[in-house]
Amino acid sequence: MIGDMYLAWSSDEETLKKGEYGGVVTTLLKFALENKIVDAVLTVKKMDGNRYDGVLTLITNPEEVIECAGALHCAPLNIARALKEYLDGSKDMRIAVTCKPCDARAIIELVKREQINIENLVLIGLNCTGTLLPRVARRMFEEIYRVNPDDVVREDIDEGKLIIELRDGTRKEKDLDSLEEAGYGRRENCRRCEISIPRMADLACGKWGTMGKKATFIEVCTEKGSQLLDEAIKAGYLQVETPTREALDERSRKEKEALDRSKKWQEKNFNELKGLNYEERLNYWFNHFDRCIKCFSCRDACPICYCVECRLEVDRNFIPGGELPPDKLFHLTRLAHVGDSCVNCGQCQDACPMEIPISKLFHMLNKELSPLFEYVPGRAADQLPPLTVVTDEELRVDEPYLFLKKEST
Amino acid sequence: MVESFEYVPTVCPYCGCGCGMYLVVKDGRIVGTEPWKDHPVNEGKNCPKGRNAYAFLYNEGRLKTPLIKKNGDFKEASWEKALELVAERLKAADGDSAGFINSGKIFNEDLYVFQKFVRVVMKTNMMDNCSRFCHSTTVPALVSTVGSGVMPTSLLSIERADCIMAAGSNTQETHPLIFHKFIRAKQRGAKVIVIDPRRTVTARNIADIFLQINPGSDVALINGMMKTIIEEGLEDKEFIEKRTRGFRELKNYLSSLQMSEVERITGIPADMIREAARTYANAETSFICFNAGITQHSTGVENIKALADLALLTGNYGKPGAGVSPFRGHGNGEGFGDMGPLPVFYPGFKPVNEETAKLFEELWGVKGLPSKPGMPYMDILEKCSVLYIVGGNPMVSAPDTNRVRKILESKEFLVVQDIFLTETAELADVILPAATWVEKGGTMTGIDRKVQRINKAVEPPGEAKPDWQILCDLAKVMGYGEYFNFNSTEEIFEEIRKCVPQYHGITYERLKKAGGIQWPCPSEDHPGTETMFVEKFATEDGFGHFQVVEYKPPLEVPDEDYPYVFMNGRTLFHFHTGTMTRRTSRLHNEQPDGFVEINAEDAEKLGIRSGDRVVLRSRRGEVKAFAKVTKNIQQGVVFMPFHFSECAANFLTGPTAGPPSRMPEFKYTAIKVEKVV
Repeated sequence: MIGDMYLAWSSDEETLKKGEYGGVVTTLLKFALENKIVDAVLTVKKMDGNRYDGVLTLITNPEEVIECAGALHCAPLNIARALKEYLDGSKDMRIAVTCKPCDARAIIELVKREQINIENLVLIGLNCTGTLLPRVARRMFEEIYRVNPDDVVREDIDEGKLIIELRDGTRKEKDLDSLEEAGYGRRENCRRCEISIPRMADLACGKWGTMGKKATFIEVCTEKGSQLLDEAIKAGYLQVETPTREALDERSRKEKEALDRSKKWQEKNFNELKGLNYEERLNYWFNHFDRCIKCFSCRDACPICYCVECRLEVDRNFIPGGELPPDKLFHLTRLAHVGDSCVNCGQCQDACPMEIPISKLFHMLNKELSPLFEYVPGRAADQLPPLTVVTDEELRVDEPYLFLKKEST
Repeated sequence: MVESFEYVPTVCPYCGCGCGMYLVVKDGRIVGTEPWKDHPVNEGKNCPKGRNAYAFLYNEGRLKTPLIKKNGDFKEASWEKALELVAERLKAADGDSAGFINSGKIFNEDLYVFQKFVRVVMKTNMMDNCSRFCHSTTVPALVSTVGSGVMPTSLLSIERADCIMAAGSNTQETHPLIFHKFIRAKQRGAKVIVIDPRRTVTARNIADIFLQINPGSDVALINGMMKTIIEEGLEDKEFIEKRTRGFRELKNYLSSLQMSEVERITGIPADMIREAARTYANAETSFICFNAGITQHSTGVENIKALADLALLTGNYGKPGAGVSPFRGHGNGEGFGDMGPLPVFYPGFKPVNEETAKLFEELWGVKGLPSKPGMPYMDILEKCSVLYIVGGNPMVSAPDTNRVRKILESKEFLVVQDIFLTETAELADVILPAATWVEKGGTMTGIDRKVQRINKAVEPPGEAKPDWQILCDLAKVMGYGEYFNFNSTEEIFEEIRKCVPQYHGITYERLKKAGGIQWPCPSEDHPGTETMFVEKFATEDGFGHFQVVEYKPPLEVPDEDYPYVFMNGRTLFHFHTGTMTRRTSRLHNEQPDGFVEINAEDAEKLGIRSGDRVVLRSRRGEVKAFAKVTKNIQQGVVFMPFHFSECAANFLTGPTAGPPSRMPEFKYTAIKVEKVV
């Protein structure tokens, strides 16, 4: 049933051994494939065994699923883009997808835009408190942890610490905040992200609330998720038990801790800008935009962008071609088009070759828009983007804050 | 249902940065590009060319079968017939009458087989590479000062420099992911000096000090900077004493110069020159990079010698983030040199002579290898009656296009091996269709000596074959098959390892790592070499040698009849002669046509507004294009990109330096400008 919570673990010994916790995600994916609930699994694997090089993989052979077991903190991809771009929005293929909150949210946004067929998807959500850029992680491990990055076999973020485990079994940990103050640690957008538990997926799986047991905590989020879990249990793939009050509290506490940390980073990243006056703030961004070389990487990387004929392309006669930097409307248009639905996945900023902090701008503005329209991107497929449901009257409003106040009285 | 879905890692086919990317291959066809975030050079970031890199592979203009010209028309032919014809003509060409041109676009394996073919089968050194037109001045200049013409540090180390001086390099447009390192360095507090006659985006976006120099006066400027450094006692005395020779001669010469004269020649106020000099000299680690703006001059060799002097003067060699670096344009811009498809070098930079010929006779198990140097590019074009061009397009890239056309049309036999019907291919007697990039796989060596692997991801179109394969087949037809028994690029690479000492420790297996390996790599457990010249220079005595260079004006200065200075160059969206980028719709759409950049005041005098059609005339030819009026170029200076064959900038160019560089002065030609009425 929706809302049910369990501690679960795989019935298969090998999976349980290989898994970091209960091996539940691997088991569910295998179950779905073996029982033809899906045609394929879309997930992330290490390229050539390199944990800093995560690539998407489409698995049809259940035996291959186990190779992808284990969280890869240094593989920051957004899976939604591949679904939309390369797999036809799961139109004709049933796929089980492992997704971090930003992946799941992006998928939901694309469902709203009719670019993804949610009927054909099973979303196995993965709790997430952030990913790292591979090159930053390597440098951090070398210079701060003083280890050979190739010796790291596992990373974990827990209780404000970034912990690594080496091939020989040694563990090292450093304070996360100190690392991030010094420019290491997680990607900037991850630091600001408020959503650690992907409740918009079918099942949300993670380690919070496992209280040191070799188990995975599952929260059932949809009917589809509930059904899948029940069937997997019935078929003997998984075993479950009810979590204790203590475990539930532990999970809530950790979720709140992550949220508090993210709020602090939002303040840090946004306050500087909010303190500038309008002209100063415009100059700040225009100075960044001056370096733009129109690679379109931000648009290509954005999981929300989906137009076949993009307004920014030269043949739309809007942004003149061949100009460097491109007209400022290039960025402002993208902002107007997707700003209300930005899920803060950070792919745009990762992809920008000119170090323009795009994610910071889009996230900041989305945080302004969100309370105004009471809209949280990626939360529910039936919550349509503000610009598509805005009324004529609302469009003509000059002072949105006053308008809303009037409405509520 | 999807049959196969794979991410294939590869390196961009365009510029010398060597950026990594993932190609998404679905059911045997590339459907997209994804970031390769673990790649050390670009960390998952790409420029517009990189983002659209695979598009040209699928353009319908791809050459799919051999073509033989009959009665002015190209007719499809079998490989057998085509190679038979080519073999016949090559056999009939005696001595030095057959010439071979190759390109930095082609992989190490292809180029190795190329030069082996010319030497073993044709028994000559009559071959040259398109780098004659961009960095032929680099090698003699840097060899005479520091012993080697390569980038002495790594692209990544640029981030650590405290001062960056970009001379004649519009880095943001030509090498965006190196400009990315400039941005990072600047975020850490580095100061950036940009030297360019045009106020390019690079100058506008990153320069702390912008020296808008009169074209062709770089030697005067650098001499002025060095004079300042010595006068103010900012030279690195310890370094000069321990690691260099020839300082006294340089000091004496510089003391004879007048700053007022430097100011007059360069057009830069003496104060600014001094400020730039102090900034460069006072920084802990200073990095100089240069590109076509410096190299493509009749005094290119002198320009670069001056830059090397400046770095030696201030102890900026032998540590990460320092040195003087050429930014090679082609993806394999360093590798081609290593493979030796040149008139004066065998593989591994061994000079063409008796001793080297004997060495390779042993290595290859052959007799009678040529020990006499061949000729440079334009001389080959002119003097050889039979030409074989692989991946080059002299009809657009070579100087004095009218003359090039006459020359090519007069050839007895012209073979062009390429992927599209280029402007040069149209004049050919035989066209051989080549497979390219991820259709064939191989290795490429980029700007900072980084050897990287290109994995094969898809099949070539039609009957197109890898360049190395075509040459091996040709060798077989000509009776030399036993020396060309290669079945894969890996086998060729194994032979390269034996012949090129710098590559000795590199293997295909080791190249699986993102970012490859920087040579020299002497053994399989050697990690590669980031920084060169740490202990000594590559000169014979191990010391850096100061070279005194005097300012000399360019070959063809403006006069009453031809009062403007013309320079050609590049833009971000296109690559060289546009063969690939103009067939990529997203890039083509950004910039479908060529243009003429003309100064606002000059334009006003001539009654020209942006969008007007103008005609440029030189002593050799004329070009018509649309005007782009701008304040970002100096009065008296006119610029055109050379990517557009229908308004080909090289109709105007021509004057060329003498030996050793034989560099055409692309960056300085005298022209006149008129509005087309």
